Amino acid sequence: MTIGLWHYLALSVFMFTCGSVGVIIRRNPIVIFMCIELMLNAVNLAFLSFARYMPMGNLPVERTVEGVMAGQMMVIFVMAVAAAEVAVGLGIIMAIYRLKENVDIDEMNLMRG
Amino acid sequence: MDIAGIPTIALVLILPFLGFLIQSLFGGLVVRKLGPAAGKKVMGALAVTPIALSFALAVMITFQLVGLDPEQRTLEPVVLFNWIELASIHIPFELVVDPLSMTMTLVITGIGALIHLYATGYMAEEKDYTRFFTYLNLFITAMLILVLGNNLALMFIGWEGVGLCSYLLIGFWYHDVNNAKAANKAFIVNRIGDWGFTLGMFMIVAFFAGNADKVAGADSNRWLSYDVLIPNAVNLLQGHPGVATAIALLLFVGAMGKSAQFPLYNWLPDAMAGPTPVSALIHAATMVTAGVFMLNRMSVFFEMTPTGMAVVAIVGAFTALFAALIAFGQTDIKKVLAYSTVSQLGFMFVACGVGAFWVGMFHVITHAFFKALLFLGSGAVIHAMAHDQDMRHYGNLMKYIKITAVTMILGWLAIAGFPLLSGFWSKEAILGAALGNTAAEINGLQVGPALGWLLLVVAALTAAYMTRLTLLTFFGGKEQWRELVPAHGHDAHAHDDSHGHEAHEHNHGHAHEDEHGFFYTDEEMAAKPHEHVHHHELDSHHTPHEVPPSMWVPLAALAALSVLGGFALHYNHTLQHWLVPNGPAFLEPSSVSGAPEGWLHSALLWLSIAAAGIGIAYGFLVYRKGLPKSEADEKDWHPFRKSARDQFGYDATMVEAAVDGGGQIGNFLWKKFDAGLIDGIVNGIAFLAGQFGRLFRVAQTGFVRSYALLMLIGGVALLAWFWYAIAQPGGPKIVNPSAQQTSSATGGQF
Repeated sequence: MTIGLWHYLALSVFMFTCGSVGVIIRRNPIVIFMCIELMLNAVNLAFLSFARYMPMGNLPVERTVEGVMAGQMMVIFVMAVAAAEVAVGLGIIMAIYRLKENVDIDEMNLMRG
Repeated sequence: MDIAGIPTIALVLILPFLGFLIQSLFGGLVVRKLGPAAGKKVMGALAVTPIALSFALAVMITFQLVGLDPEQRTLEPVVLFNWIELASIHIPFELVVDPLSMTMTLVITGIGALIHLYATGYMAEEKDYTRFFTYLNLFITAMLILVLGNNLALMFIGWEGVGLCSYLLIGFWYHDVNNAKAANKAFIVNRIGDWGFTLGMFMIVAFFAGNADKVAGADSNRWLSYDVLIPNAVNLLQGHPGVATAIALLLFVGAMGKSAQFPLYNWLPDAMAGPTPVSALIHAATMVTAGVFMLNRMSVFFEMTPTGMAVVAIVGAFTALFAALIAFGQTDIKKVLAYSTVSQLGFMFVACGVGAFWVGMFHVITHAFFKALLFLGSGAVIHAMAHDQDMRHYGNLMKYIKITAVTMILGWLAIAGFPLLSGFWSKEAILGAALGNTAAEINGLQVGPALGWLLLVVAALTAAYMTRLTLLTFFGGKEQWRELVPAHGHDAHAHDDSHGHEAHEHNHGHAHEDEHGFFYTDEEMAAKPHEHVHHHELDSHHTPHEVPPSMWVPLAALAALSVLGGFALHYNHTLQHWLVPNGPAFLEPSSVSGAPEGWLHSALLWLSIAAAGIGIAYGFLVYRKGLPKSEADEKDWHPFRKSARDQFGYDATMVEAAVDGGGQIGNFLWKKFDAGLIDGIVNGIAFLAGQFGRLFRVAQTGFVRSYALLMLIGGVALLAWFWYAIAQPGGPKIVNPSAQQTSSATGGQF
């Protein structure tokens, strides 16, 4: 059996699902962050696999190369954004911890209507 | 008529403006660099010189005009620049040279220069010396714009400019809250007049522009320029008496405000809070006569409406009588002169109202001479008497300040109408014009003769209260201040306060440093220790001293003018032929002949001499021995004198109605309209929004994970909808990029 696009996509979907379920059910913000990272990486995987197994059709070669490059570049962007997001998010968590000595996400309900 | 390429008339205007710039930009610097004494000398000279130069130039221009044919004395307006240029109206900054504008210019710059000279002496101890001359030079500039401008808009700019300077100068010693209040009162009351002036101006524009086809010279769109308005006025307004009356009365409301006529007079007495040279220059000689000047300038508009003229004359006569009566109840020397000014302005308006506009100007000029003299003289007296303004503390000053006394006595005789002095000629001309008048009428009722008789009585009253002032101040044999008890200063405050905000000459108060706020109340002023050394309160050991030459030279010059000026202008009808060589533009010349018919014609001269004589004789009878016992203490006053002191309740009523009533209206609007209606609407809308939001607040649980779940559900639902939409027959299809490539020449999106 050759490993193809569908296998990668299946893995990606599985990772994304794990991530989203984790975000929803866990109460520890650190774990939620990890789950978000999981979702982002699932998306990255999807990008990369589409870039690698891109349906060529009868496109000219240059357009194909552009598509491959675009997919890979998007991954770099996602990683950069993820890093920034973690930095900010962890800072917020630290601040909340100092304030409340507790990081249970369900206790953070100041915005309740 | 150019000097170095600049029209001479423009130079007349520019010089005082340059003086203003020098005073305002470099005044403080020069005084700091050269030290107070030398710096003030330099800046004083720099303040007087431009005005004197302007006067010299104005004399030059006047002589050139005299050389011309009477018909050609209105020169082509000198356009300095284009000020307002719109499609429908064009207002250039243009100056007019004609007999009327030059007459006023001579009065303003001539008397202005004398008063500037006087002020260099009077204000010599003032800390804010250059600020004073900044305002004074700016005032001359604004006043010259008022009289020299060739259109109503420029007159209005000057009108507002002099109002501003008047405000600044009344409140010159602004640390005392009473002075600031007096300045505000002057400014606010004048706004009512400006309302009339602007509305009149708008009506003129609307009416003239609306009838542009009948206006000669309409193509330049200069709807406010005199050379367009005045030649066309008769033609255009003849069939529209209503419009003519409305324009005339609205303009007259403006004149009432500036010239302190009856309903709007009450700012002028309070304006005496300013330094005395200001009272002389602005509130006696020049600014307050702007209303008379305006009536002269727009005389054609008034001639078109007998009703309007009758109103002008009646208001003027009533003001003359009213103010003359109030003057009997005043003890402050400047207040007497202030009410006398209001009264004399009333005389001028009667002259205008009965169609003898030039007579109004005649009285403006002679009044400028003798009233400036009287004010400056009163300033010298106040200066000599340690800034006490209460005439009941004077007496026998003839012995101490001879020059002031002699000049002021000449001023007194001039205003009282003593034969051959200037006031005599102009007042007789006014009486004659009123008695012989047939032009001013309301519904066929001629008001002129009745007002003429009334003014004859007022002339006698004028002579009487001016005699009272002179005798109480300079004669009487008894030096009243010798009997002052030491604590009098505070007592004087106490009963001054009983009639509203009396102006206190705080010449000695301005040196106070203001440590804890902007204004002092009376109590604070009284409570403060008096740090000044060069002034002292008037006490029983005081010896009055004559004023320095810079102050008595103007007095002497004005005294000479007061004595000779009237006759010079009257002789051979000089002024009449100069101002109105052709008589009125519209009225029958016989209706404003200036002389009554029949027996009155020969009796008029003797009647006016008799009026002056009766007034002076009455004054001598009552006051020859100085202050009568019945007038010493205000508690013992005759009820009439008490109510005259309180302006017959008019000022208090007006202040109550306007200030308190306005306050109540404002309070009502605030509580009911603003807080109730406006805030009600705003708060009601906010409340509704709040209620609406309450419906949805249950969705905001505050649980982050539930938000995440909702996001997930939303995302899944969106995807599901996409899928469903794609699966629909006829729905959007996924396009193969290669297929698009072939179908579209521009290339597909990747």
